[in-house]
Amino acid sequence: MDHFIQLENFPKIAPYAELFWQGTVVTILLALFTVVIGFCLALILALMRMSNIRPLRFLGIDSDGHMRESGFLAVVSRFNPLDFIATAYVEILRSTPVLVQVFIIYYGVFSMLELPSFQLFGFIRFERFLPGVVALGMNSGAYLCEIIRSGIQSIDSGQTEAARSLGLSQGQNLRYIILPQAIKNILPAIANEFVVIIKESAITYTIGVQDIMSAVNAVRGATFIIIEPLLVATAIYFCLCFPTSKVIAYVERRMSRGDKR
Amino acid sequence: METRDSMIRVTGLKKHYKGGAIKALDGVTVDINKGDVIAVIGPSGSGKSTFLRSLNLLEEPTGGSIIFKGVDITRKKYKNAEGKTVRLNIDELRQKMGMVFQHFNLFPHMTILDNMTLAPMKVKGISKADAEKKALELLDRVGLKDRADAYPIQLSGGQKQRVAIVRALAMEPEVMLFDEPTSALDPEMVGEVLDVMKELAEEGMTMVVVTHEMGFAREVGNRLLFMADGRLLEQGDPKDLFDHPQNPRLQDFLSKVL
Repeated sequence: MDHFIQLENFPKIAPYAELFWQGTVVTILLALFTVVIGFCLALILALMRMSNIRPLRFLGIDSDGHMRESGFLAVVSRFNPLDFIATAYVEILRSTPVLVQVFIIYYGVFSMLELPSFQLFGFIRFERFLPGVVALGMNSGAYLCEIIRSGIQSIDSGQTEAARSLGLSQGQNLRYIILPQAIKNILPAIANEFVVIIKESAITYTIGVQDIMSAVNAVRGATFIIIEPLLVATAIYFCLCFPTSKVIAYVERRMSRGDKR
Repeated sequence: METRDSMIRVTGLKKHYKGGAIKALDGVTVDINKGDVIAVIGPSGSGKSTFLRSLNLLEEPTGGSIIFKGVDITRKKYKNAEGKTVRLNIDELRQKMGMVFQHFNLFPHMTILDNMTLAPMKVKGISKADAEKKALELLDRVGLKDRADAYPIQLSGGQKQRVAIVRALAMEPEVMLFDEPTSALDPEMVGEVLDVMKELAEEGMTMVVVTHEMGFAREVGNRLLFMADGRLLEQGDPKDLFDHPQNPRLQDFLSKVL
């Protein structure tokens, strides 16, 4: 009778432990670089979405010098190109599968570029790793943008009113009043995004990034054993994600306790 | 009534939403003179707060004019003394109008002292030492000098509001706007805040106070505005209006609150 798990298979895949180890390193590095790229992109996107640059503003001012209340010109005058671009980017990336995005970046964008072919740490293939990081970073940038934006918008509007009524400019308000308070709300969400990316990065094995999933595939190709390598991968992913999210939750609780000083 | 220098002249001020379907302010005309202490009363939803917030453009009026120091601040651009068209600098304008909010709006991530020195240092460019000296003087005036290093969360409501008042005073404004400054306070703390405001009025500060404290409106204010449905229905000497209200809406309002 065939069992779901056959213990005798584990010794058979033991010689491939090195592959899993390398895959784990690749996955962690992939997630780290992705979060950094994603955060920088997201901060830019969030500021674009909240910007108040309206090149057609003059159309909304009537001959009397007042703002128009309604009508076509009032709508046109509120058009903000930066907001439009950032919103379009975020909505497109959130409304399409990450697998499609990874393929477009790898087969579309990076096929036109000649990447140097070398190995980081002797086992990470740069020409596969970079497209993976870029694709995941662009994707998580779209999600982090909304996290940063909502973190900023969660600050009570009275804070801005008080700051502006004291004469602080919009930029000074953001820098001295809003961002210092918003960062506290945003940091745990960014750490959570790191955990999400560890799991999501599994998709990059489809473009040849040698992460944990690619190790599973390699073992299957060599030994025709599939369930046991998958269980090893499951264990590794769990050991990466579960403690990390517990630590984040603990830090988050500590930080919110600080609020009740 | 004695003639005084006009500080703010509001003419036909309108704030309409949704293309005029909702009229929060519907043509308010009032002169605010230097040294005036004006109490604004009226039922909720009457436009009192919108009126006050329009004065420093926290709300953008959709019609009418507000002349402050000779400039119509409801317009984005104006002609200066040399006849040049210049853009209205809203930040410069707001420095001259202090505002106190119902919910204090202290900055929770800063100490009381930092709350008070931020704007003088960053906006006016005053040195840290001078700003702190001035802040401590002001805190001393409201009896809170020993709480300078505390965070807002450690203060009571009344203490927070006293800090909010002196935080606005630290910018040396020419007029102070109060938006229901005692409405969020526990009853036993209302007095300490009103005392500070009364002192300020006696020193000659120009003040516009939206309030539900009828005693304060009657005793401290030199003029009373009664608003309802976005319109200014009555204005005049507070004692006259309280004792002999003419407008039926005011009679009805006073019968409910007194």
